[in-house]
Amino acid sequence: MCRMSSYLDRYGRNRSLCHRLPPRLKLLLTFGMVLAGVSIPVRYWPAHGVLMSLVFIGHSIAHVPLPYLARRLAIFLPMVCMLSLSVPISQGFAAGWEIMAAILFRTTLSFVAMLWLVNVMPFDQLLVTLRRLWVPEIIVAMLSFMYRYIFVLWDEMDKMRVARRARSFGQVNLWRRWKSAAQLIGMLLIRAMERAERVHGAMCARGWDGHMRTIDDE
Amino acid sequence: MHVPDGLLSTEVCIAAGVISLGAFGYSLRRLKDSLAERTVPMTGMMAALIFAGQMINFPIALLGIPSVSGHLMGGVLAAVVLGPWAGCIAVTLVLIVQCLLFADGGLLALGVNVLNMAVVGSLGGYAVFAFVRQRLGNGARGTLAGGIIAAWLSVIAASALFSLQFGLSHAGGELFDVRRLFALMVSIHSAIGVGEAFITGSVIGFVLAQRPDLLYSADADGAGGVVPRAGRAVAFGVMCALAVAAFVAPFASSFPDGLVEISERMQFSKLEQSRVLLFADYDQVLPGWQKLSVSLSGIIGALAVLMIVFLLDRSLRLRQRAAAADVPHE
Repeated sequence: MCRMSSYLDRYGRNRSLCHRLPPRLKLLLTFGMVLAGVSIPVRYWPAHGVLMSLVFIGHSIAHVPLPYLARRLAIFLPMVCMLSLSVPISQGFAAGWEIMAAILFRTTLSFVAMLWLVNVMPFDQLLVTLRRLWVPEIIVAMLSFMYRYIFVLWDEMDKMRVARRARSFGQVNLWRRWKSAAQLIGMLLIRAMERAERVHGAMCARGWDGHMRTIDDE
Repeated sequence: MHVPDGLLSTEVCIAAGVISLGAFGYSLRRLKDSLAERTVPMTGMMAALIFAGQMINFPIALLGIPSVSGHLMGGVLAAVVLGPWAGCIAVTLVLIVQCLLFADGGLLALGVNVLNMAVVGSLGGYAVFAFVRQRLGNGARGTLAGGIIAAWLSVIAASALFSLQFGLSHAGGELFDVRRLFALMVSIHSAIGVGEAFITGSVIGFVLAQRPDLLYSADADGAGGVVPRAGRAVAFGVMCALAVAAFVAPFASSFPDGLVEISERMQFSKLEQSRVLLFADYDQVLPGWQKLSVSLSGIIGALAVLMIVFLLDRSLRLRQRAAAADVPHE
């Protein structure tokens, strides 16, 4: 079984200079980096190089391991390559190469910058920050519910998957696999909604009035 | 499928962000009007469900590539279960979490993703769904068919919208033609949309057979019709027009191009060349095989969707009959 917690918030609990920065500064830094990467034209490519090395320095200060970065990039890059290649392909390889280069540069830079943010900001800190940034309370409440439920549903799904594998001995044909995957989602939906109703009832019994209260309320 | 940063220009991102912020704020207001404290856990759960549902892979081994797989987008599914407003919010939450927790989809491009998937997927998708369901008499069959058709159209609409945004982003620079990209994107996505339609249809069919009361109904909301009838018809018209554009557009060159005429009458032609590119002759742009492939994929996609409607509807009725026969045992 693969646990969801080894996948979400992986390095958010590291202790480093980057993790100690004020949360709003982290958001601001990332936003500024992405904005800079997107708005600098490609012909100033040394600037992109400097930005990219800054981002990687940030990663190394935050102790984000290199194999992790490589793994994420290995999933991300082929997708972007295909997408950006579709520009020259759709033009019959006659034009669009410059656009392709721009896309590759910019998306990679912003992706790595986003990865930094993801890995220095644990989710609870993010929720508190969002609330202070005038995000409506109901949104923050929904996000915190969602975060909690992701783990619950993941465990539920894992159980159902194991049960399915136990019944079907692994390989079956494609049509069956699609059908059973769709049924898995359907079953999960029914269970999830029933659970949400139960949780809501229990919350009402404990005096829920639509407002979240957390310890850090000033 | 998520748009990363750097793909689209900042202006387009900001414009899309403003539009999605407006739609999101409006959905939130409508939601607060209806049933405030109940929606928080339900919407949170639905968002988590879509998030988890997206991790279930659907293998596409048809092409002999075993490792490629697709997943659910979920906009229409969320709208059918929770209603358009909560559905839009749930999908937006999913996108926010994917952006800030996985770096999946860009920070600047969040508005674009929300517009393409949550606003078009849930609000537009629900309008199509409601229209089709009403036409088929508000029954289980209508719900199923509406969900399937809306899911297919939502994917095509998202891809069309994306190519438009992409075209607007890169119109200024090197000579680059949007319509070829449009052709490529739409023909790929009318195939991908069939997958989405199948998943959405199966899940809705499953829920209809087991717990039909879980699905959202506008009457129970107390607010009456959620989307005004005119709005539904307009949304259906727009999304259908996109689909029809996918079938017909490549052949439009045989007509004396109406768009060119209109654009001249409206003095579009005085704008810079790159804008006018949108209205130029089709003839020179799309080579023959591309025309054919776009139309063919559109038609095959539509046929496949109808087929799914038919098959799932039949299996749903079988299951309902079986469930009705089961009742005495319980």
